[in-house]
Amino acid sequence: MDLYKSAFPTVAKYVSRMGGNFDEAKDVFQDALVIYYEKVILTPTALKNDIGYLIGTARNLWLKRYYQTSQHLPLDNLEIPLTDEESPSHGRLLRFLETAGRKCMNLLKSFYYDRLSLQEIADEFGYSGTRSATVQKYKCLEKVRESIREKSLVYDDFME
Amino acid sequence: MTTSWNETQQIETHLLGTANPGEALLFDAHLLLDNELADKVIAQQKAYEIVKQFGRRQLKQEIEAIHQILFTQPQHIRFSQKIRRLFKKT
Repeated sequence: MDLYKSAFPTVAKYVSRMGGNFDEAKDVFQDALVIYYEKVILTPTALKNDIGYLIGTARNLWLKRYYQTSQHLPLDNLEIPLTDEESPSHGRLLRFLETAGRKCMNLLKSFYYDRLSLQEIADEFGYSGTRSATVQKYKCLEKVRESIREKSLVYDDFME
Repeated sequence: MTTSWNETQQIETHLLGTANPGEALLFDAHLLLDNELADKVIAQQKAYEIVKQFGRRQLKQEIEAIHQILFTQPQHIRFSQKIRRLFKKT
């Protein structure tokens, strides 16, 4: 919330000055927050200026998505990992998994996405220790993997 | 391969490239001989992608919830009006 309050006004001002609208500002800012989060989780010490990074990312996203009249954009080498929006089969599977095994998905998310330690996961999910959290993690991973394999028989296009 | 989660763990170290050389060699040999294992490796790779998408989706929902609070709750009215004013002219 603090990040939102301190960085969004600058992004909104920029987008508005460039002729964009509120929804565009919101869109790029929220995606920039996701990119920022993933960056911080992977390398907590990488950023010296959090708000600056957030604003810069949002600006680049806006330029890339909405500002198409000019060809010489200062996009530098920003990696934008949010373009792999759910393909239909992914979306379908995601919905399936969300209902079939939310606890498993949350556990896997905590480990692989939020990068919590096994100890933190054991505490949060009520396992006796890191070993049982490990076993549970792999069991969940297997569950997801096997449902993907089942699905791939049904949806030929799933494995690309 | 004693238990199944053991195998899953081996696939993970294979995919992350963190297996030691001996293990890696052994695993590659298994992979050549065992179609089902190869299949599992592909599906497991997909599983990580799905988990990442799930994580992103959850995060986006959390962000949107914050947005809703900031733009609908009366205690943040000064903030939301300030932002909205920026887009008035267009």
